[in-house]
Amino acid sequence: MTDLAIHAAGLGKTYGGRRPVVALRPLDLEVAPGETFGLLGPNGAGKTTLVKLLLGLVRPSAGDATLFGRPIAAPEARRVAGYLPEGHRFPPFLTARQTLDLFARMSGVGPTHRRARAEALLERVRLSGAADRPVGTFSKGMLQRLGLAQSLMNRPQIVFLDEPTDGVDPVGRREIRSLIEGLRDDGVTVFLNSHLLSEVERVCTRVAILKDGERIRMGTVDELTRQGRAWRLVTSALPPATLDALGDALSIDGTTHEGLVRSTATVPDRAALNAALDRLRADGVEVEAVEPARQSLEDLFVEAVSGSPRLGAAAEPPVDG
Amino acid sequence: MTGLFLLTLRELRARKVVVGLFVVATVVWVALALALQLDVVDGSLAGARLFGQETIEEPFDPDEPLVDAEGDPVLDDDGVPRTRGSDLPFNGDTLLESVVFTAQAFVSGAAYWIGILLALFATGGLIATLTERGYADVILTKPLSRSAVLGGRLLAVMAVMLALVTYLFGAVWLVMSIKTGIWSPRFLLAIPVVFGMFAVVYSVVTLVGVWSGSGPLSLIVTLGLGFVTLVLAIPELPTQIDRTWRPLVVGAYHVLPKFGAVGTTMVPQLATGGDVGALYPLASSLAFGGACYALAFALFSRKDY
Repeated sequence: MTDLAIHAAGLGKTYGGRRPVVALRPLDLEVAPGETFGLLGPNGAGKTTLVKLLLGLVRPSAGDATLFGRPIAAPEARRVAGYLPEGHRFPPFLTARQTLDLFARMSGVGPTHRRARAEALLERVRLSGAADRPVGTFSKGMLQRLGLAQSLMNRPQIVFLDEPTDGVDPVGRREIRSLIEGLRDDGVTVFLNSHLLSEVERVCTRVAILKDGERIRMGTVDELTRQGRAWRLVTSALPPATLDALGDALSIDGTTHEGLVRSTATVPDRAALNAALDRLRADGVEVEAVEPARQSLEDLFVEAVSGSPRLGAAAEPPVDG
Repeated sequence: MTGLFLLTLRELRARKVVVGLFVVATVVWVALALALQLDVVDGSLAGARLFGQETIEEPFDPDEPLVDAEGDPVLDDDGVPRTRGSDLPFNGDTLLESVVFTAQAFVSGAAYWIGILLALFATGGLIATLTERGYADVILTKPLSRSAVLGGRLLAVMAVMLALVTYLFGAVWLVMSIKTGIWSPRFLLAIPVVFGMFAVVYSVVTLVGVWSGSGPLSLIVTLGLGFVTLVLAIPELPTQIDRTWRPLVVGAYHVLPKFGAVGTTMVPQLATGGDVGALYPLASSLAFGGACYALAFALFSRKDY
């Protein structure tokens, strides 16, 4: 037994048939309780297959996994889980309140808790005003919010969200993001599958990138986006002598609107960075900003799935000061 | 399982056809109650009117000997004198019984052939819906075993159909019994038979629905199978086909459900008090249904969604 929220060992799926399709190559994955884990990847990368495997919708071809120590093959494992699937469908004749009640009943939630929980969640996803309207009259955004409420009815310890902001307007998107942050604050493990990388970057503590059924990157957002031992500098104009002295350690990236120079210092460690800064100041260069160089998650994603070079690898030509 | 049972009941209610079937059943027994006016005197039928038209104009004595134009008694093939009751239809000992049995045979026959067909259309898509993407994703990720999911679905369909058949047959039986004073509880045995055959038909819908995920296909296959079984039930068929194919045809007849035999013999005979014959057609049909359900459950438990 393990107290990990998700523990997968060699979990893989190959769909059979005349031409077998490898949807997910054997994968090891550990997600700790309370983590907000983001799963990224292009279409067909195996993201949904992984979620379906973990929730028992698909049977693994290889390996095994547990949710909070319970084997995924057992229905009991899903008692602690909530799921918002992509493109979910609810019976159109049910009202929002009835939908929450019926699906929570299937999750084993008692009648008293169902009523109170439904009221609270309808309020939380801003559907109180439409609680008694048939679901068939809902817009896509409303359906998405109802799906989110449905996934939380059983007070899950882990919630799988597949494209939770799909079809939701920017205001709704922000609300869903704050809801996810609220779940994180409540200690709920969130497994987020989304194409909106900016959202993943904002809310996830750890991220994995899948491509062609294989995990190609995994780590904290900070680990993945930080570019080794590089720092971005914004300074006043750099004299040629300074550039010559610093050599390969400093590359010019461009200029700001105010005429300041943007450059990247690639040095072995913090001491070397400070030595470079000392040299700049000694040459009369004013330092406006110093920060660790990072890629956006989007840049990282594009680079990872397409194999294109890192952003900034091909720097603009030096700007004479 | 309760949640899925209730959800299925709501889905059935939302499908107007099921409500329509209950309305039709109500219309049948109400029409029977209002349209058929029987004058029963001392337990015998003295007169009958259907929709206000006189159908029996004078008291009828089934024991009255039949005589020819010359006034001689009419004899049957065995030389026994025939009476007016000798040709009473539907195994009735009296004209009154015949009227009761006729009405009951009509209702049970219509319920068997037309009712099952309509019920099939009303409920046919429910199994395939369960496997549709978006719907399956929500339901199958609940902490329920696949067997409980499919079982809850089937249980609700069967509960509604049993209620419908019981309502129709029970109401017709009560109407006829109260109107005539002839209480023939044997007619009620048609309820489990008709319901059982619906369950057999639905086993094919379930199996094909789980396998293909298509509601229309499961209905087409089921109706096609029903047609094939009716053809296989033609007694002369084995003697009229090529000897090579004969074992296949005979084997198929025994393996597949016997809708025709049950519908043309067992159900009407239960309604009319006649000999229902061997139970083999019903028993083998139920065995076929059981096998289909077992396969459907096994397939549903193993399939990826």
